[in-house]
This record gives sequence, structure tokens and C-alpha cells, in this order.
Amino acid sequence: MDKKSVSRRNFLGTTAIGAAGIVGVAGLAASCSEKKVQVSFVPPPLKAVDGQPIRAGVIGCGGRGTGAVINFLNAGNNLEIVAAGDLFDDKMVRFRESLKNKKGVELADEKCFVGFDAYERVLAEDINYVIIATPPHFRPMQFEAAVKARKNVFMEKPVAVDPVGARRIIVAGKQAASMGLSVVSGTQRRHQWNYLEMFEHVKAGAIGDFVAGYAYWDQNKLWHVNADPAWSEMEAMVRNWVNWLWLSGDHIVEQHVHNIDVINWFKGDVYPVEAVGYGSRQRRVTGDQYDNFSVDFVYEDGTHMHSMCRQINGSHGNVSEFIMGTKGRTDCRHKIFNHDGTVLSETSDNPWPDTDEAKNALNEKYNSPYDQEHIHLVNAIRKGTPVNEAEHVASSTLTAIMGRISAYTGKRTTWDEMMNSEVHYQPEVYDFGPVNSVPKDVPVPGEAADA
Amino acid sequence: MSGKLFKRIQLWTLITGVVLGGILLLGFNKVVEATSTDEFCNKCHFHPHATTSWKQGVHYNTASGTIVHCVECHLPPKGEGYLPEKVVTGLRDVYGAVFKDSADFNWDLKSRPDNAVHFTKDVSCVHCHQNLYPLEITHEGMDAHLYYEQQEGDVSCIKCHIDAGHYHEGILHAANVDFGTSDKLPDTVYLQPAIVETFEDFTERLPLSAVSFSMKAIPGGTFTMGAGGDDAFAQPGELPEREVTLDPFFMSETEVTWEEYLTWYSQTSGEGRTTDIGMLEGIDGLSGATPPYGNPDQGWGKGKRPAITMTYYAAEKYCEWLSLVTDKTYRLPTEAEWEYAARGGTTGPYFFGGEVKDYADVGLRARLFGVDTSVINSYAVYIQNSEGRSQLPGAVRPNPFGLKNMLGNVAEFCQDIYIENAYTQYPGPVVNPVVVAGGNEHVVRGGSFLSDAAELRVSARSKTNHDAWLRTDPQIPKSLWWYSDCYHVGFRVVCEFDDHLTTK
Repeated sequence: MDKKSVSRRNFLGTTAIGAAGIVGVAGLAASCSEKKVQVSFVPPPLKAVDGQPIRAGVIGCGGRGTGAVINFLNAGNNLEIVAAGDLFDDKMVRFRESLKNKKGVELADEKCFVGFDAYERVLAEDINYVIIATPPHFRPMQFEAAVKARKNVFMEKPVAVDPVGARRIIVAGKQAASMGLSVVSGTQRRHQWNYLEMFEHVKAGAIGDFVAGYAYWDQNKLWHVNADPAWSEMEAMVRNWVNWLWLSGDHIVEQHVHNIDVINWFKGDVYPVEAVGYGSRQRRVTGDQYDNFSVDFVYEDGTHMHSMCRQINGSHGNVSEFIMGTKGRTDCRHKIFNHDGTVLSETSDNPWPDTDEAKNALNEKYNSPYDQEHIHLVNAIRKGTPVNEAEHVASSTLTAIMGRISAYTGKRTTWDEMMNSEVHYQPEVYDFGPVNSVPKDVPVPGEAADA
Repeated sequence: MSGKLFKRIQLWTLITGVVLGGILLLGFNKVVEATSTDEFCNKCHFHPHATTSWKQGVHYNTASGTIVHCVECHLPPKGEGYLPEKVVTGLRDVYGAVFKDSADFNWDLKSRPDNAVHFTKDVSCVHCHQNLYPLEITHEGMDAHLYYEQQEGDVSCIKCHIDAGHYHEGILHAANVDFGTSDKLPDTVYLQPAIVETFEDFTERLPLSAVSFSMKAIPGGTFTMGAGGDDAFAQPGELPEREVTLDPFFMSETEVTWEEYLTWYSQTSGEGRTTDIGMLEGIDGLSGATPPYGNPDQGWGKGKRPAITMTYYAAEKYCEWLSLVTDKTYRLPTEAEWEYAARGGTTGPYFFGGEVKDYADVGLRARLFGVDTSVINSYAVYIQNSEGRSQLPGAVRPNPFGLKNMLGNVAEFCQDIYIENAYTQYPGPVVNPVVVAGGNEHVVRGGSFLSDAAELRVSARSKTNHDAWLRTDPQIPKSLWWYSDCYHVGFRVVCEFDDHLTTK
């Protein structure tokens, strides 16, 4: 047994890159005077291979769950959705309508489950593939249950809201791997053709060694739901989950994990060892979360990642990543630049074409990354070459949590603290009543004991 | 010689060689097999510490009925160093069987996990237990195994799975919520603490308990602290000598006993135990220890045996409580007070006279003729006479101040922050010195049942080792109150002779 297999320095390994259909580096340009590296890139498959029938269940039938089911059904032949679960009846009704309208699929009443135990009932159905798209708070318990039920899993990001939850995902991921199950997560940039192509360039040495990374998700305010007086506190919170820490992990975790994950991924699936963050709440309407964070992460080799995220109307928008290397720099999704700003190389196609003709051609050649995730997962199952992204997505989730806790407390946080932290947000009971034992106040940096 | 004959001889030589080689190989394999059975091991390892405890243990009584054999744990797997290790351990065992008597071995000490790791390697454990995260694992188990993998060699399997191979009644690696609750309390109950008005020995009484203990009046004075220049065993931290003057104080005759410590433990509330206790008037809140993880008394018994495995912080909190319930000023001794009290007016390495070479099993003369240990044996519990565990105070004679077990039995916390060159930084003459900054660890003095004669010297200094002493505590966060990996340290208390006493 490799004793160090989970140590943060050795996370490299077993994930989905191979499944993306890349053949890798054809040859370094060592003999040429040109410093451009030669990369031969094969676009990821447009459709999953044919094979054993896949029968999927979905847990969490909101917007993303509905979308994920459609993405799954788009991925290939002989793919079927057979069961669904959600906490709320109205969500289930809308989900079934969408499914009927968009894909012509009708689910029988007895295969649709509503309530806090809906996930257990979905897992008890005859399925071999489960899509988990509930609010992040529920991910650890539902992923653990899915692994125990021996299901292949597609789960949305982030995968936890606290360190205890992230560790539970890591372990359940190991259990899934040891049983030959496949796990793909909704950090879809890892399945997006232009990121995959740039990753090959970076891996081949196009920008040299990693110097610094920058991750951004600055946007307008996200949605909120005002509580109906007839609702219990639990219902009001879950329906408004993107504004509550215990349900979403705050927006640095819930949304910005995408960009943080890209930097960690391009660095070689390495995770920061410490963080010092700022953050505050300026304009958020409901809940207990901040609406802006700025975090300086430090990797073990002394290099840094700066992460910025904001959800405030009328402010500058920027959702992207940027990596500085010793030889050049990259936007991770289109171009490699020399230090003088000239373009060294770029993706084989322009991801943002100007003409309709070019746009159509691009759509013929490449899938949406949301469909692509399911193609990769279905292929892994049908070809018998399991993928497992659980540990990567849990570690990037934990990176974001480490940044959040630093911003909340004003203290420096470390990876070791995260691996040993007892912070775990858990309501006393899961029912439609008052919600106890979870934080509800906005943390004050310098005063918050932990977070 | 004709070529034909030569070829024939060659052929016969070859055939003979192959046959002989085959026989040898077969014989060798037979020997390896025959010397790897449980029966063969048990021919020498017949003592109950090996065979019986194995048969009572979980690897003999597995849920599936599979019996795990001696060599499967005590030798590395085949192909991973099995034969070389077998040869080495075989030679060592033969030497032991011929030249030693197993009755002389300190089995208690030898079966401690810190020793057992030398002949129960992780490579053997994980050869069978390949999956550290089976589906049935608890969340606590998950966190513990993640921790194990992150520690990269600092923690071994049996440090936590402490009785995996051999059943051991006293040793435990599990939550121990009931610790101390079943110990029967005597009938007599003191309602008031001792009243002290003059500077002489007294017996302290713990209110609402039947527990009392003796305090010795230690007169103030001036002494020379540190190791003498002629002490060949002196470590740099014990030098140079310095002149120290101290005020008078009281010191407990013995190390704090389990019955004293458990009085505090049961009178202050903590997780998992009742908070419904009789509070003393005027005291409305005291923090007490949470229950231990593991078995603090190691199964040796409690009563008047010294309390051990408490953290430095817990010892401090005990003193705060003791001060409150007795209306006096109790605290840990300073390092200077400790050495002054231990010397009892004597100079030299031991208050009972003699030098290290008189007692230690080192040097040719000692090896050939042995050493006369009757003197040291009557004053100190140390590695040569301790049987690997602490002993009751009655086992030894007191020092000139009437204090018992200053040297040996269990080592003792002092107030001072440990700085190696403290005597250089703060040379004599000094009055009532105590180091309060400059490090994170505290001074530990006095040697223990694990110490050799050199470590027992009155000037010998040691220190706490906070992280290492909590390494296998699986709780998150780790305990504030109990060390998981230190069982040789306790403490004794001093009481100040201050206005608190005399103005009453």
C-alpha cells in the first residue's frame, strides 16, 4: 500500500484526464530554436460509447439537477432516467414537466420521491448511476449513502460546506475507488475542451514552472428567495440556500471553487498549505453570508494563488483564471503568452468565434462541458476504466473553505488545521421546523472564534 | 582422459549438483516452514505474555474464524524482507534462550506499544489490512486513518490498535467515559481543609472527600543548583552551577496520588459525567477534565499510586482547584524549589550518596562483577527495580526533608518554561528564580520508573514534549487534559507559606 497516497503532496494521479481523450505531448521542442512546445490534442469524444444500459436516479431536482439529467440523457445511447427525489413537491412537479417537454421522458409517480429521505429511496431503486444536485450541505451524507449503495456518482460542486464534510467525501471517494465505482464532479472545466487543451500545453512546459495563480469570480448579486410566512424556518432556509453558510458554504465555496480548482489542477493537483483572507458583507439581502472575499493562498513550495470573488450588483465582472510561469503565462482556456505579451500559442479553435458560421462549426466539433462530464462518466463505466474525481473536488472545496475560515476569523488558516478541524454545521434534526445548532449570524473578523 | 569420459563426468557432476541443490532447497524450505509454525514459536515463547494473550486476543478470535499466526504479524510478508528478518530474530531468540532467563524479562515494559512496534511492523499489518477505508468504518475511524496517512511514518498501526495482537487488560485505546467512577470512596468525609498557622508539617484534607495527604515544611535557604564540575554524566543544560536562595514553602510528601487527583476529577464536571455535585460555598464554577481516551492508570491500579498521563495544563488546573477548596495557594514547584527539596541539604548527584558509576550497569567492572544496588533500591523506583511501572510510595525511604520519590517513580512537572541554557542566561546568585517565557515546553524533573541511574541524578533536567505526547490521541481536537503517549510523568504540589495562611 502506498502510505502517502492521501498526503497533499501526492494527490497526483488517478483522475479523468485520460478519459478526456487526449493523446498527450508529441515531443518537446528541445532541438528547435523555437521555444514553443508541440502538443497534439484530440478533442474529447462527442458521444459516449455504446454499451451496458445506464439507469440513473437524480437526487435534487432544482435547476441544476434538471439540467444535469438532460446533460446525462444527451451523453449517448441507452441512457435512462428512472427515479427522482427532492425535498419539495413543487420542485418535483416542475422537474417532471421540464423532462417531458425537453426530452419526452415521463417518470412514473411511484419513482418520484419527496422529503428528507428521498435520497435513500432513490438509492434503493434499480439504478447504477446517481446524479446528486442538492445543496452542498447534503453532499457528504448523500455521497456516502450512494457509495454504500455501490452506485456510480455524478455530483455537483462544491461537495461540502465544512472541513468534516470535505474529509468524509475524501474517504467515501477512496471507498468508491476501491470498489471500482466511478465518480465525476461538476467542476466542469476539467471536462471543457479548451481548458483541457491548455492544460496539455502547460503540462508540456509551455509556461515553465508555476510562479503564481489568480482565480476570479466577480459577478452581480445571485438570487435570493424571501421567506413565505407560512414556511417553517427549515423550508425558508433550504429554498434560499445560496445565502446560508450551513447550506452553501458561502459563495467562495459554492461558486468560486471552480476557479480555485483550475489553479490547483494546473499546478498538478496540489493544494495550498495556508491562507490569509479578507471578506465582508456589503449588499447581500438575506442569509448570513459575505458577498466578497479576497484570499492569498500559499502552496508548500512557497508559490501563491490569489483568489477574488464578489456577488455585488453594479461592480466589475470577471470569471476567469490566470497563471504566471517562469517562461510565460496563460489564461488557462485560450492562449499562452510570452513575457512580452505576444502570443506563443493558442487553442486549436477560437472558443469565442465572431461569426455564426464559426459558432456552428465549434458546436459541431465540441460538446458543452456539462454534457461532456456525463460522456466521460458513462465511458468510464462502459469501458471498465473507472475515474474518480472525489478527492480532487473535495480538496479544492477544502481549499475554498480554508480561505473562507481565514476571512471569517481574520486569522491565518492552514491545511493541517483543515485536516484536523471539527467544524461541522449540522442542524439538530432534519424536519420542517425551527433550525437549531447552525450558525446564523454574520461572522466578524478578529472576533469570530472559528467559523 | 578421453573427451567422451570427460563429458560423462561433466554430465554426472551436473546431475549430482542439481539433485543435491534440489535436496538442499527442499530441506531449506522444510526448515523455514517448520520453524515458522505457531508451535515452534511457542516452544520458547511459552510464557503467558505471548501464547495465552495471543489466544485471548482479537487476531485469534476473529469474526471469520481465521487464526492469524505468529509470523504473519511478527515477520514482514514474504518477498518484503521475510527471510532476512527471520534470520535476525531467530539468532536473537536463540541467544536469548541460551544466555537469558525469560523470568528476568520486564514483560510489562516489553509489551508496551512503544516497544512492540520494533517487532510488529506496519508492513505486516497492511499486507492483510489493505483497505484502510472499508465501508463499515466509522467517521472517527476515517479521520484516524486520514491522520495516519498524513503522519508519514510517525504513527504506527499498533499505537492505536493497541491490543490487536495480544489481549491486554489494562491497556485501552478507546473513549473511557467511566474512568474513575467505579472507585469506591471511603466512608469518612472531611468537611473542612487543614488549618495551617505555623510553619511545620501538616496534613491537608480535601473537603467533601475522605482523602488527605501529607505536606512537608521545607525551610528556606541558599543552595548550589546544577551539576558539579566532576559529574561525568552532566548534560550541558545542567551547567554551570549557580547559587539560588529560596523562601520557605511546603511540599507534598509524595507525588499527587490517584485518589487525590480523582477527587478533583469527580468534583468538577466534564463531558459525559454528572454535573450534579455538591458545590462548596462561594464557588460557583470550576473547569474539570473531560474523560480520558485510553486508560490513564494503565491497569496498574489507582489509590495511592501516583496519578499519571495528565497534561501539564491539567496539573495546573488541579492546583487552582486545590487552592480554592483548601483556601491556600497551591501550585507546581519551580524548578529551583524542586531541586532544593530533592537535595534536602545534600550535594552530589544523589541525596542518598554515591555516584552514577556505583549504580549504573555500565563499564567493564560493572559488567563483570555487577553493581551493589541495595542503597539506590531503597530510595528510588527506576528501570532496574520498577518492573516497568510506578510503585506505591511505601516502596521507598524518604530524603532528608522527608519527601518520597523525588528521584524516580514518576517524573514531575515544574512551573518553569524549559530553556536548555537557563543557568547561563540566569546565572547565580538568584532569588526565587522561575523561567516564565522563552519556549513552549515545561521543565520535567526527577526521573521515572523508566529511567536509568544517570537520568535519576538530582540535577538531571528534562522537558514536556507536547505534540509527541498527544500523537495518537484520535480526538478532534486533541485532549486538553490527558496525554495519549506519555505515561511516566506526574507531579507534586507545593503550598506557599504566605499571608494567606498566617493572617487568618
